[in-house]
Amino acid sequence: MSSALIADITAPSVNYYMLAPILIVLGGAVLSVLVEAFYPRESRRSAQIALVLTTLVVAFLAVLNIKVDAILGFTIVNSLAIDGVSVFLQGLIILSALVGALLISENRIDPLGDAFAAQSSALPGSEDELAFTERGWYQTEIWSLFLFSVGGMLIFPIANDLLTLFVALEVMSLPLYLLVGMARRRRLLSQEAALKYFVLGAFSSAFMLYGSALVYGFANSVELGDIAKALSASAANSNLMLVGGIFILIGLLFKVGAAPFHQWTPDVYQGAPTAITAFMSAGTKVAAFGALLRVFYVALSGLAWDLSAVLWAIAIITMLVGTIIGVAQSDIKRMLAYSSIAHAGFLLLGVIAQSKAALDGSLFYLAGYAFTSLGAFAVVSLVRDASGEANHLGQWAGLGKRSPVIASVFTLFLLALAGIPLTSGFVGKFAVFAAAYEKGLAPLVVVAVIASAIAGFFYVRVIVLMFFTDASGDEVSVVVPSFATAAAITITAVVTIVLGVIPQPVFDLLSNALFLK
Amino acid sequence: MTAYAWLLVALPLAGAAVLLLGGKRTNAWGHLLGTAMSLGSFGVGVATLIEMLAKTAEERETIIHLWDWIVVGTFHVPVALQLDQLSISFVLLITGVGSLIHIYSIGYMAHDENRRKFFAYLNLFIAAMLVLVLANNYMLLYVGWEGVGLASYLLIGFWIHKPSAATAAKKAFVVNRVGDVGLSLAVMLMFTAFGTVTFGEVNAAAESASTQTATWIGLALLLAACGKSAQFPLQSWLLDAMEGPTPVSALIHAATMVTAGVYLIARSHAIYDIAPIAQTAVIVIGGITLIMGAIIGTAKDDIKKGLAGSTMSQIGYMILGVGLGPVGYVFALFHLITHGFFKAGMFLGAGSVMHGMHDDVNMRHYGNLRTAMKITYATFGMGFLAIIGIPPFAGFWSKDEIIRAAFSHSPLTGIVTLIGAGITAFYMTRMMAMTFFGTARWQDDVHPHESPKSMTIPMMILSIGSAFGGMLLLFVANIESWLEPVVGFEHAHGGPDSSVLIPVTLTIVAIGAMMGWVQYAKREVPLLAPTDVSIFTKAARADLYGDTFNEAVFMRPGQYLTRSLVYVDNKVVDGVVNGTAGLVGVVAAQLRRTQTGFVRSYALVMVLGVVVIGAIAAIVGMA
Amino acid sequence: MVIAFWICAALAVFGALGMVFSKKAVHSALFVALTMINLAVLYAILEAPFLSMVQIIVYTGAVMMLFLFVLMVVGVDSSDSLTESIKGQRVPALLGASALGVILIGLLGNITMTNIGFDQAYVAYDGNIDALAGLIFTKYLFAFEATSALLITAALGAMVLTHREHAEKPLTQRDLSVLRFKSGNHPGSLPSPGVYARHNAVDIPALLPDGTMAEISVPKPLAARGAIRLIDLASKDEVQALNRGEAVITSQSTDRVEE
Repeated sequence: MSSALIADITAPSVNYYMLAPILIVLGGAVLSVLVEAFYPRESRRSAQIALVLTTLVVAFLAVLNIKVDAILGFTIVNSLAIDGVSVFLQGLIILSALVGALLISENRIDPLGDAFAAQSSALPGSEDELAFTERGWYQTEIWSLFLFSVGGMLIFPIANDLLTLFVALEVMSLPLYLLVGMARRRRLLSQEAALKYFVLGAFSSAFMLYGSALVYGFANSVELGDIAKALSASAANSNLMLVGGIFILIGLLFKVGAAPFHQWTPDVYQGAPTAITAFMSAGTKVAAFGALLRVFYVALSGLAWDLSAVLWAIAIITMLVGTIIGVAQSDIKRMLAYSSIAHAGFLLLGVIAQSKAALDGSLFYLAGYAFTSLGAFAVVSLVRDASGEANHLGQWAGLGKRSPVIASVFTLFLLALAGIPLTSGFVGKFAVFAAAYEKGLAPLVVVAVIASAIAGFFYVRVIVLMFFTDASGDEVSVVVPSFATAAAITITAVVTIVLGVIPQPVFDLLSNALFLK
Repeated sequence: MTAYAWLLVALPLAGAAVLLLGGKRTNAWGHLLGTAMSLGSFGVGVATLIEMLAKTAEERETIIHLWDWIVVGTFHVPVALQLDQLSISFVLLITGVGSLIHIYSIGYMAHDENRRKFFAYLNLFIAAMLVLVLANNYMLLYVGWEGVGLASYLLIGFWIHKPSAATAAKKAFVVNRVGDVGLSLAVMLMFTAFGTVTFGEVNAAAESASTQTATWIGLALLLAACGKSAQFPLQSWLLDAMEGPTPVSALIHAATMVTAGVYLIARSHAIYDIAPIAQTAVIVIGGITLIMGAIIGTAKDDIKKGLAGSTMSQIGYMILGVGLGPVGYVFALFHLITHGFFKAGMFLGAGSVMHGMHDDVNMRHYGNLRTAMKITYATFGMGFLAIIGIPPFAGFWSKDEIIRAAFSHSPLTGIVTLIGAGITAFYMTRMMAMTFFGTARWQDDVHPHESPKSMTIPMMILSIGSAFGGMLLLFVANIESWLEPVVGFEHAHGGPDSSVLIPVTLTIVAIGAMMGWVQYAKREVPLLAPTDVSIFTKAARADLYGDTFNEAVFMRPGQYLTRSLVYVDNKVVDGVVNGTAGLVGVVAAQLRRTQTGFVRSYALVMVLGVVVIGAIAAIVGMA
Repeated sequence: MVIAFWICAALAVFGALGMVFSKKAVHSALFVALTMINLAVLYAILEAPFLSMVQIIVYTGAVMMLFLFVLMVVGVDSSDSLTESIKGQRVPALLGASALGVILIGLLGNITMTNIGFDQAYVAYDGNIDALAGLIFTKYLFAFEATSALLITAALGAMVLTHREHAEKPLTQRDLSVLRFKSGNHPGSLPSPGVYARHNAVDIPALLPDGTMAEISVPKPLAARGAIRLIDLASKDEVQALNRGEAVITSQSTDRVEE
């Protein structure tokens, strides 16, 4: 048997400029593992923080570099697509990760240390745990996991074939499963959340993988472009492609938290350490919607008609479930979780609409939402009582009188989530709805507007609670955070306002954001 | 100067930002900065006006495009200022009266430890109000609309330690949300019907729009106007808003913000001109409120609430005026400006009286104050003469024109406005008599004294406006031809002639005033309000059951809204599902049960979801 | 080939179901092995020898054996409760699964696939293993490399969740014995009860060389219950009874006997 010689295999061309952000972040992650292994414990935490922040800043510069050089295209035999959308999303993810890193680094607001268990392996409530806490130890592995997750997020929205997409999904999710379960307070809740997230995540991955196999059976390729070609070439609709497409969408819809695959969201958002919730709500949403948009715009646009009924149903259910159940929530983190579900529903309008305007709108929406959500969760982490965060809504009563500044900033975020003018939320919603309307999705827009109104109710309720209600008497206080959290809140608040008042520069930036097909 | 028109908004906004962000460091000079910013804005306004006067009527409208706000596909919302005769009139009113009230507040709030904050909020209000009137599209107007609302809640609840102030702010907040639904509906309807929200383009598109569309938009705008301008049935918050400091009542709840509804309808004249049903609705609402407010005014012993009732009533006149179409727009706006002068003047007068009477607002404890507070008496008197419409004071000219226009529309509207004028004369005379005439009924430790100069000078300036403003605007500025290019103008035809109408009006006013005088200046006014009064008086004292009405019409059907919004949802706080929670609450509570917390039930939901999705896809695929 | 497929496929599904439904973890593990081997056979039938071998070596050989080791360590008879605690879970779950099956069969039951991917790769790289290598190092290079991130994460995660560092340096045997002697208590084993006494019952303390009783020699549980029989050497009755080998009722233990 005359097998091919190594020389016959042409090494794939790798465009390192395009890959730079990913390579830098994953390289940073590996370095961080080494720091974990070889650095003395006393200074490990500060070394890790410095390493992570540096990595992210350098990665961001690398993203800008792509933009400057305008070297867009596919790389490594079409497995990754670097186009306008990728660059925008990667930049956005890195910025969200930077803000997230600031929040994760916070160790002033809790007298016991940061938001993570001193030693995740110690049994909750055990003497061991107490001993570690007393010593003021930190579980510094979170930083390596964090960077790996960011790396996965960077790959996810630019993956140009289903295999890379799947690997990226797992690289992104696996560290998150771990991070979710590592809260310092209410550890059992946190571990339960992690397990739920993991089991359901695996379940949805199975659907996605099966779908990829079916699509391969149809298109004889897992490349998004090839799938689109096969779709346009085949005269009849193939069930193979239909089922495959739906199953891939299910995997992605799970990640964005669309109904009926949303149920993990509130439990996980509530159980995870708040800094991780903040990072997840921004980063995962951006990465997953980026991937969803790419798969739908690039590969499945030929299937748009067949999928429209399904997607309409999902969008409507998601919007209604997010808003209506959100009304009944009494925990601030769960409420924000349902809000994120509702936002996923609104964003689905941009996916369904399939136009340049809708794409721009969705990307803008993601940018606005990412920062607002980071900021909102950052504020949540500051409102505390003796046992940790005071997440029950009743405990937020009268906050406006005790700490007007924090209450006002939170009001700003809530208004942005509700989509009140002069905030980024309004412009994003408007852009997506308008684009959907132009594409004839008027019924969906009507549902979206009604859902927004209902959602507005529960945001306003919190505002009323903070400013117009007397405190219930619980000992709840707003803790003065360290510079990191203060900076994170300031940045997110400023971005929320600036994107609401002067959104045009971002839209200009988006004007050449197109998917490579 | 036009190029610098953005300074109009930027100056007060910067003032508010410095005062709010600067914190305690700015305590010493904060009030001066606030006043300077407001005066600066007024200066820019005057300069802009002078430049505008140099142009011909057709060229006066200028759009200053600042930046693109939202550009989605074909849809385009700029951040742009529209400078024309209408907006500049408002700018001058807002910054002019606003500056006077800033000056007045320096004295009035001298002893309040939060004076800096007060000025910051006032600056914020001025900026937001200017955005409202300068916006060149409904979206930006909406921003200003919400901004003035925000400033209004902050200022109503300024003395948050008073529970009544907090409640009043809450009420204003809730009621205004109902109105805001109207505005957002209108904007959405315009967007779907015309694809644009810019005034110019909407006006152009409205000409070819269907009557039905225009009617719905008109009604939605009317709902918005009702909320902001305290018109029936959303009027109840205004009386409670008097809990705020008196300068706030003068500026926001008399002269400017509450007239935003009138502005909104006048701006949207093109819509109303083709929607007779909406116009009729506007007239009916205006008519009802005009009578209602006046009746409420007759029964109030609280001087500020009496004036608030009067404000409702006067805005009712304006709303009725703009409902009349081109015969009324100009005069409604004319009345708006004169009302701004005399009502602000009277509120400041009331503040001055309260200042001298230990913050007592009960007129039954006043009496014979003309001896103790000469300047206040004189300036309040000018306002009084203006509001009841005695020539040549300002109110006479503007109100008379509205009455004539109302008669040209139909005798009924005319008679309503006439009756309103009569009741106005009655309750204003009552207020004047109880406060400044009759015997002194002062409480023991009260020693009335005149207020400081910083308070009396603004009152004097406003009283000059009350006296001569009407004549100036009508004969010198020629307001009809000034506003005509923007809102259109037609002379009233039909109805009785001026030579008949003016004497009739004056007679009715005289009768009302005489009755008030006989009742309250000639007879002894009891210290306590008599309880053996007719059912009508009782009704008027209870704000004509405005709250009861609101409760029945808005609250009970939307109980979940108020319950959970205002009382923050007992079920959230107590964890008890409240039986009165409305539909959404119940549905939510049921749906919430699906969130069991068990991972296998989540997985089941996912599988069922996949099944349903697969089924839908299969059915669609077959079809 | 078709026959082999149906046999192996049926066995694989049977194994999968068996894994889910068996009550004992060991059985489940063995069922998994069955499934894996059948899958390996299927791969072999499909002319994918490398995959087939890897499947057996990795899953059946390594992973399943690891599972079994873990089970041995944890204990084979530890089984979870299989009673369903949520109302309305089982029936809908069954219905949902069957409906999903029906839909999938309905939609995918009659499709025909043309498998050109394999053929292309075989032609290009000449053979299965070469083709796999060729694709991994060209087309799927990035996915392959990214998997390493996954593996590091998995290793790190396992460490984080299970590896327990010690708050203090653990004590060595030497440290322990030093501690034992330093404490001044019995460094060696305790004396046995009854030693040198006249009776060897477990509840009678030993006599020390000087004739005093060592209460410490009675097992702690007995001591805790107050069941120590202290012989009153001054009491003649007791001593005589002891000598006769009869049960002694001591003055101290009277109350216990009454019980």
